[in-house]
Amino acid sequence: MKKNRFMLILGLLLIAALALTACTATSGDVQQAIEEVAPTLQAAATELAPTVQAAVEEIAPTVEAVATEMAPAAEEAAPAFEPMSLAAPDCEYGGLFKEIAALDELTVQFTMCAPDPAFPSKVAFTSFAIQPSEWLESTGGTGELLEHPVGTGPYMISAWNRGEEVQFTKNPNYWGNPAVAENLVFRWQAESAARLLELQSGTVDGIDNPGPDDFETITNDPNLQLLDRPALNIFYLGMNNTYAPFDNEKVRQAIAMGIDRQRIVDNFYPPGSEVASHFTPCSIPNGCAGEEWYEFDPEAARALLAEAGFPDGFTTTIEYRDVVRGYLPDPNIVAQDIQAQLAENLNITAEIVVTESGAFLARADAGELDGLYLLGWGADYPDMTNFLDYHFGAGSSPQFGDHFTDLTDVLAQAASLAGDDARAPLYEQANNLIKQHVPMVPVAHGGSGVAYLATVQNAHVSPLGNEAFASMDPGKDTFVWMQNAEPISLYCADETDGESLRACEQVTEALLAYEVGGTAVVPALATGCEPNEDLTVWTCTLREGVTFHDGSALDANDVVMTYVVQWDAANPLHTGNTGAFSYFSGLWGGFLNAPPSE
Amino acid sequence: MSSATEPAVPVAKLPPLDDAAAGDIGDFRANSLWRLTLRRLFRQRSAVIGAIMLGLLVFSAIFAPWIAPYDPEQVLIGKEDVRKRAAPCIHLLGCPADQPQHILGVDGNVRDQFSRIIYGTRVSLYVGFLTVSLAVIVGTLLGAVSGFLGGWMDNTVMRVLDVVLAFPFLLLAIAIVSVLGPGLTNAMLAIAIISIPIYARVTRASVLSVREMDFIEASRALGASNTQILFRRVLPNALPPLIVVATLGIATAILDTAALSFIGLGAQPPTPEWGSMLAIERNQVFSAPHLVIFPGLAIMFTVLAFNLLGDGLRDALDPRLVHGSGVAKE
Amino acid sequence: MTQYTIRRLIAAIPVIVGVLIVTFVLARAIPGEPCTAMFGEKATPEVCEKFNRDKGLDKPIATQFLIFAKDMLRGDFGDSIRFKRSVSQILIERLPQTMELGMAALLIAVTVGIPLGIISATRRNSPADVATMIGANIGVSMPVFWLGLMLAYVFALLLKDTPFQLPPSGRLSAGVNSIPFYEVYNLQFTAGTFKASLFTFLSNFYIFNSIITANWTVLTDSIRHLILPAIALATIPLAIIARMTRSSMLEVLGQDYVRTAKAKGLKQRQVVMKHGFRNALLPIVTIVGLQLGLVLSGAILTETIFGLSGVGRSLYEAITARDYPIIQGFVVVIAVGYVLVNLIVDLSYAILDPRIHLD
Repeated sequence: MKKNRFMLILGLLLIAALALTACTATSGDVQQAIEEVAPTLQAAATELAPTVQAAVEEIAPTVEAVATEMAPAAEEAAPAFEPMSLAAPDCEYGGLFKEIAALDELTVQFTMCAPDPAFPSKVAFTSFAIQPSEWLESTGGTGELLEHPVGTGPYMISAWNRGEEVQFTKNPNYWGNPAVAENLVFRWQAESAARLLELQSGTVDGIDNPGPDDFETITNDPNLQLLDRPALNIFYLGMNNTYAPFDNEKVRQAIAMGIDRQRIVDNFYPPGSEVASHFTPCSIPNGCAGEEWYEFDPEAARALLAEAGFPDGFTTTIEYRDVVRGYLPDPNIVAQDIQAQLAENLNITAEIVVTESGAFLARADAGELDGLYLLGWGADYPDMTNFLDYHFGAGSSPQFGDHFTDLTDVLAQAASLAGDDARAPLYEQANNLIKQHVPMVPVAHGGSGVAYLATVQNAHVSPLGNEAFASMDPGKDTFVWMQNAEPISLYCADETDGESLRACEQVTEALLAYEVGGTAVVPALATGCEPNEDLTVWTCTLREGVTFHDGSALDANDVVMTYVVQWDAANPLHTGNTGAFSYFSGLWGGFLNAPPSE
Repeated sequence: MSSATEPAVPVAKLPPLDDAAAGDIGDFRANSLWRLTLRRLFRQRSAVIGAIMLGLLVFSAIFAPWIAPYDPEQVLIGKEDVRKRAAPCIHLLGCPADQPQHILGVDGNVRDQFSRIIYGTRVSLYVGFLTVSLAVIVGTLLGAVSGFLGGWMDNTVMRVLDVVLAFPFLLLAIAIVSVLGPGLTNAMLAIAIISIPIYARVTRASVLSVREMDFIEASRALGASNTQILFRRVLPNALPPLIVVATLGIATAILDTAALSFIGLGAQPPTPEWGSMLAIERNQVFSAPHLVIFPGLAIMFTVLAFNLLGDGLRDALDPRLVHGSGVAKE
Repeated sequence: MTQYTIRRLIAAIPVIVGVLIVTFVLARAIPGEPCTAMFGEKATPEVCEKFNRDKGLDKPIATQFLIFAKDMLRGDFGDSIRFKRSVSQILIERLPQTMELGMAALLIAVTVGIPLGIISATRRNSPADVATMIGANIGVSMPVFWLGLMLAYVFALLLKDTPFQLPPSGRLSAGVNSIPFYEVYNLQFTAGTFKASLFTFLSNFYIFNSIITANWTVLTDSIRHLILPAIALATIPLAIIARMTRSSMLEVLGQDYVRTAKAKGLKQRQVVMKHGFRNALLPIVTIVGLQLGLVLSGAILTETIFGLSGVGRSLYEAITARDYPIIQGFVVVIAVGYVLVNLIVDLSYAILDPRIHLD
């Protein structure tokens, strides 16, 4: 009995304790949230105060950050502009930037450690969209910033109902052509069939990536229009030359000849796709320099394989991840066809292994995939370095095994030259070397598509996946767009997935931009970025009179701040969602003050 | 006559520890019980239908190479003039004779779907029987030992099983397969693991009800060891409810494996497993519905066969039936 | 009864702790790590190293577990790796959706299943009975994911442009906004309190929220979106409940006291409902309670097919993304819920049948 009573009391105590901790913990959580939001609110309040004084206050923190002398500017209506800058002590840290400096209110100068012909293409990328320095500071580089980007774009974020939709409203003060539709809504749905159904039933105005088999249905439906997204990607069959039998160049060449790539593209890719004549798509300058890929020739392939010592084929695996990408619209089906082709043409028995996406990429990067594997790459910016250097350059991962030194040399040379014409002979050489060594078999440049209701005027598709909805006219107040997945966060400096980037693209703008529906670089927040002679200094002139969604004016310090928080790993605002800022490190080489790796 | 009394044992899920419910089997002499059961079973219309359906399935599994017109993994590109995901073409129903006949159409890899479905029977039956056998063996042993020995052992085992049961079963299966790596064998293993508690509980309940009975005392007095008593006397009495639960369990196992395959964690291509066939083509539900409808129907047919048979068995094995049906028939 | 409840709750503690440990271990045992899952092709060793350091994923597993256990004891589920938001915040957003779906499904299952079962039992072997039982057998044999696809096919495509057309995905149509009741009625509360969390939680039940704010557009829209997933999710429980009701009704109707009641000249309806159904309720309640577990499993598949971002799908996505805090937090909440439901079912025995003494 006594024992029972003891248990009872103990139990009551435990429950009470649990309940208490639960309550306090929840409130603690929210408390924290308030603390995060409070400074933002304050900042917003001061910003809105329409006096000159408030404007001075706005600039103040920036000025403090730079810690330079401040000239008294009381007499003038506008506060004095104190240019910000940040310089690397030297170029040893491994990145491309030497200095980023505001010269005056509307001029920013980027000094590079090495000539960078791809500078304009990179600067136009969504991750480097400019946000007000005050906003970055007041959010501490995370929290509210992830939900609520403050940009200069044609749309402003009005609400993000997690799990359901992101809502945008028109920016009435847009510097360019104002958005046509008053509201824009982003929704998402992972299954292509369901997306198409939403479009057919008219609940959405446009959908991303209809299934390859649905292209015909859409074309035949008078209520719909289909736009092909040009193939700025590559799907390849990977091999690692440190594992037998792929250490034998003849085996690799045999596989290159023994697969009927035309059959794969004809049967399993949507219209607009191409058999890959080279690793790089032809629409990228110099992409198709050099010889075309091997013809399909099973007999020659078998002969080569026999010569290499495998007259009866061998056993291997085909490893891939079950993730739909523009370059691989139907992974399971394509994998099974390659499996069947290997058996039929080369007598190679390949077992299919589906690996979870993350684990698969980790294994590829670490050079641990010992069989054949299916992988691809989509362009970040339209330049050869984005394809070739990343995969075959001296600094690339061991995903194909040991580097081919003749190839890495050529690529290093090419990357140091300015101008596409000057680089052309080198890329021709590089493409030929890839054909000779067969580090992988390029299979297809996968086309994908975007479908809209036929009533949508001015519909277009972007090869880079960043459609500009502001220019489209749905014929009503609200344009509803349905994509594959929900954005992860809306601070795109620290996001990598296309779904997030597309949402950011509507709200924020970079110094330069890609033309609507194309890849050519056009002016945006900067009217232009001019290089010096050897391409090591780029000077960008900002557009006058551009205001952010919060009413503040765009100036050079906003640009510097946007870059610096990404560049300088020691900056307190270098936080973001994950803190990885992968596009910055990927495109500009690395971070300043990066913590030493262990 | 459809079944008269429905069960304390619903499909694959048991009421919470109700020691008496599943266990009041009493001491029938084995022989007559089985004969009685069989006779009762064949009076159950649902059981007979279930048995016939199962017979069909077993037949097509065994004779798959003769029934199926194609090799299930044969890609027909370049071999026949047929489009990928072509709709069914049956000559008898007016499909032009110059087109190759594919009675259930062609899948995304241009393979004959009918052949794949026929071969899929093998996979599903294999999955069902093997998974449940594994779960029954482990579960019975656990349940029997813990029920028979009682005490802390019993308590520990039951609490561990409670932990397993506190997860939604599919979630736990997903987690286990994620750890082991996707694949048919691992999916089966995961489903076996999560269904162990069910069999352990059924066995334990029977053992508890039988443990204190006179004939056990008698055996003990005759000098039989614990192991002997457990395997010779106790377990046979736990068999009838186990058979019922296991038959219904096969149905669930097939359904769950299909669900795992559907989310890409079960059978890997090109294995003709219905769940993965359906999963690979699920985006074609509007453009090529035959690729989603038929594998789904096949799963349903198989699961239905086991469910009907299981129901029939339960009615036939449940002693309360004698009473129940007797009264209800008036 | 109080004593029983407390005893059961205490007995549940080791189970919950077990669930915690199993979840933690399982989550870490899954191959692949959050970093590569998140950055895909762009995950370089440098990126991952920094990422792991920031998230505390570079510490030894044992240390990670201690931190996790300590946080859990304080009721803190931690922050999601993928979203950098607190797990409780995400739960407040997602749980209502799944609960709404689950409750709608159970409601359908009970309100259709029990009457069907009673009708079958009272008109044994009639065409209605045979049809119900055939339907029930098919119902339990149907793969949920397949049924979901078929329902979407029929109601969204085949019945397009008819009054029966139903939306195949989402919770609300684009542009329809559910306005939280506290905004409508201008209820003031200090953010950060328990009240704030509770209010947000409640307002995320769209049906509840739209009823108390009298917003009929949102109400009809959210109900229309709920129908298909709820039917898909309800089918199996419905079939099981119908079968169970039928059989326990049959058993009760065969009892002597029912015959006596009939002999006394009571109306059929009265006999069935008062003498029959009340006594058949016990096993039915058990089954209904058990279906809750099934509903949660089904929710993973249903939410995937109907594009709902409830607990089930979020959990599955978290497993794919190796988002450990979400996996852990969600599973613990589900397990606690499961234990509580079981307890309520057991307690209801005592209420339904005075002969049962729980203590």
